[in-house]
Amino acid sequence: MYLAAAELRLDLLEREDSLPLASERWQHFPYSCFSHHEAACCEVAREWIIANDFAQLNGGDLKTGPRWLRQKYEWGPSSWPMHWCDVVERDVIDCGAHAALAHEAFAARGVTAFRAQFVQKYSADATVQWRKKWGDEEVSDHWLTDDAIYHEGNALLVGDDEVKLWDASAGWWINARQAGGGYGSLVAVRIFADGQWGGGDGFRWGDHRIKPNQWHQL
Amino acid sequence: MKVYVSGLYCGGNPQPGVGIVRSLRQAFPNATLVGVEYSNRVSGIHWDDLDDLWIQRPWDELDLESYGERVRQALDEGGLWISGSDLEAMWLADLFPNGHRNLLAPPLAALKRITKPTVEAASGLPVKIPPYISTEHSDWDLHAFCREHNWRVWLKGPYYDAARTPTWDSFAAARNALTKVWSTERLFLQSHVSGYEESVMLAAYKGELLGAVSMRKREITPEGKTWAGDISEVPEEFMAPLRRMVKELAWTGGGELEMVRDASNQLWLLEMNPRFPAWVHGATIAGHNLPALLVQGATGAMPKPSVAHGQEFTRVVLEVPVRGDYPLPPLPEPFAGAIGHSMKHPSGLTSLAKKLHKANPDLLEVVVEEDGPDGLPAIPDSFVADIDSYDFARVQTPQFLFMDQTASGLFKRAADRAHRLSTNEVQVVSGYSIKTNPDERLIKLALDNGFYAECISLLEVQKALEVGFRPDQVILNGPAKWWPEGLMPKERMHAFFCDSIADLERTLTAMEAGEMSSRHVGIRIRTPNVVSRFGIPLDSPGTFRKLVEAVKRLPADTAFGVHFHMASDRIGVSQWWHLFESMLKWCRSIEKLTGRTIEVLDMGGGWFPDDWHSDDESKFAKAVGTVKAMLPGVRQIVSEPGKAMAQPSMALAMRILEIQEHEDDSIEAVVDASIAELPMYFFYPHRMLRKCSETGELQPIGRGKTNLMGRLCMEHDIVAANVQLPEGSKAGDLLIFCDAGGYDRSMSYVFGRG
Ligand SMILES: [Zn+2]
Repeated sequence: MYLAAAELRLDLLEREDSLPLASERWQHFPYSCFSHHEAACCEVAREWIIANDFAQLNGGDLKTGPRWLRQKYEWGPSSWPMHWCDVVERDVIDCGAHAALAHEAFAARGVTAFRAQFVQKYSADATVQWRKKWGDEEVSDHWLTDDAIYHEGNALLVGDDEVKLWDASAGWWINARQAGGGYGSLVAVRIFADGQWGGGDGFRWGDHRIKPNQWHQL
Repeated sequence: MKVYVSGLYCGGNPQPGVGIVRSLRQAFPNATLVGVEYSNRVSGIHWDDLDDLWIQRPWDELDLESYGERVRQALDEGGLWISGSDLEAMWLADLFPNGHRNLLAPPLAALKRITKPTVEAASGLPVKIPPYISTEHSDWDLHAFCREHNWRVWLKGPYYDAARTPTWDSFAAARNALTKVWSTERLFLQSHVSGYEESVMLAAYKGELLGAVSMRKREITPEGKTWAGDISEVPEEFMAPLRRMVKELAWTGGGELEMVRDASNQLWLLEMNPRFPAWVHGATIAGHNLPALLVQGATGAMPKPSVAHGQEFTRVVLEVPVRGDYPLPPLPEPFAGAIGHSMKHPSGLTSLAKKLHKANPDLLEVVVEEDGPDGLPAIPDSFVADIDSYDFARVQTPQFLFMDQTASGLFKRAADRAHRLSTNEVQVVSGYSIKTNPDERLIKLALDNGFYAECISLLEVQKALEVGFRPDQVILNGPAKWWPEGLMPKERMHAFFCDSIADLERTLTAMEAGEMSSRHVGIRIRTPNVVSRFGIPLDSPGTFRKLVEAVKRLPADTAFGVHFHMASDRIGVSQWWHLFESMLKWCRSIEKLTGRTIEVLDMGGGWFPDDWHSDDESKFAKAVGTVKAMLPGVRQIVSEPGKAMAQPSMALAMRILEIQEHEDDSIEAVVDASIAELPMYFFYPHRMLRKCSETGELQPIGRGKTNLMGRLCMEHDIVAANVQLPEGSKAGDLLIFCDAGGYDRSMSYVFGRG
């Protein structure tokens, strides 16, 4: 469920730079979800994603990231709301759509995965470019600040409480080394999951313990 | 302190010498570092940290004995030696079997325990070894290995070199090339492991582990070599057994364990190198100077403390000045009319391999198997009985031999299995694909054993009907079902599978007009990610939607079915089962979206006989169970073994016309058969026999240096390469190529017969 209305939930303060943590801007921001026409059009599209994901596995491990999705769909601006029958026909989709498709694939394979939100650090030069590109397409650029960006991905459970973080719109696993700061690094992560993971300490990712359903600063 | 460092090659697949030198210079600013190389073409000799150079002639020119003496002298005089080349390390180990106090390289006994692919010494580490097979096994067994591992296999040399061999002919070519380069037949095939590559580098002195560090590749070159990486501590669960291993091996020197981590976090060990890796200085940058630890361990000299500049490293390209006393040698001229300079490794390492191999054939053999294979294929008893039933005095060669007993056995076996797998709810039947071999004897066997006739044209239907099939035992599929015009049976057929949506529309129209009738009408689907020109593609949401719409238009009183066909021997056995599962998932989606129940499932084909007739029936039984669970409406499963029935059912008899021996020990034997009778020669191995002209005994033919040349005046008419004719073979002898009853027979053509 991505609602245009969700943007209203942005905690827009008078001065953005007065926010102590970049992730606070997205404190109440939900992860992206597709809409469904409750008709054959959307059901065919959803079945196609699931069946095709299995075909693309090529006999490989079920915990392989669904890189084919990034191969088929470029990353770029997309307007929301997005229906299933609409997303499969697009050439370009944003990170929220990528993460939503990847989640569907993981779930259909029977592996445990969770939706995840990221805050990443880039640079003013990068965000200026993205703001222009998103603006040209008349799509909201709510995900950009000066040098930090909001991003979506997936957390795949690989042990009792260990997760790997899949960046669906890049087609790679985020390396825990990338949490050390710097260009392209992961600043904060929020994993949406029910239950007591890691005996209440949360998920293990590299050297970190990430409690679900709240922004974790890295 | 004087340290000799070798392995200074700095091309796309670099050696570690320059990295070792940089690390040592950082730790011991006043040490005398001497670069050892075997070619002045190696660019690392110009690296500025080197105080001196010891340039030898290339290995092919070098007299190993006198050079060995000079190395001994250098060591005796107190020089330390760190080898940056596997082969040089082997040679040194051979030269100093019990080591030398200044030689910082592993002893011979240790090297023998890390040979590829078993790496026996590493058995205590938390790693697995990817499945492998020595190429000393028969071609028949090697082909089976490739099928089992989905042709995702590497052919590897004893020291270096690996070639991907996704098909049989690419395997044969790579085997010839590697055998030539490394002058050994002892290669091995190893299954590919998909994942991320990582390594552990270690330094040890006389069995004491001085340091180890872990590196994950973060950027790789087109050859798969490290371009950037990150460094971390080796976890204790790896460190403890590594310490034990180093102690057991009494290891001295650097070392590297090259591994792949798969998606399930399992580590697979590819090989262990008896030297530091080329990225050695990447670890030094991260504060782990292992060459310094090694020198310290050996001499007690205190290095300058290591400083960590971060935990990640990457490479750049640097231009450095060429030393005045080692000006660049000329670049060889391209061969006349050829493209490129065709340069070998400048120091002639392959020559060293040859020399080592010649001097000491057991030095480092790969894949030592007890009761080593004899390289001969096992010949089934029924083959022998069938061949012996012929009076060859009356057989005009080349001649296909029908293998009566073999064929009857195979058809009966398939029929029995289908019967065993059938239940009250789901009937399992077999289909005989006429195109694999339209010989009437085989079609009759199919009929007698309860098979259906799988046809791809109306001519094939006609043939099946002539042999005795009823129309309701006929299954039609493929894109040419309507050809030739006017032969479509008016009676009801069993199943009719459409190859495209247009084909489905045409079928529906023809049925409405009463031009044809079939109990089941279905579609052949082409699952994505598979190269095929047949069936309705599912590779885009648009094509899938069209398929769903078309199936919805099927008349309610016509039973619906799905056909899926992919050659299992080409894509591999487990890959075929993955596709099968994938196909069932598509079927379930199609049922759900169209509201139509799938009643018949036709699955083929292209099975290699041994995979199909394997005694292990569990996979087939499990498959039937999966179908029941996923598609409860299925009443009949038609399994189409394809060439698994036909291929063993005929052999090709031929005679030797002439034998020519060449100067290089190779032999060319001309036979009266040709690739016109064996068009599948390049695609899979055939089991071959010679009938001894004296005893009449059937002798299996293994690998050797003989090429069997066909009778055609065509350059590529070689019916078998690198085989070994039994002793005493001569012109007039009879050779029998088994496994020629499939497409060899059905696609053979008339050529060169006047
Ligand atoms: Zn829709």
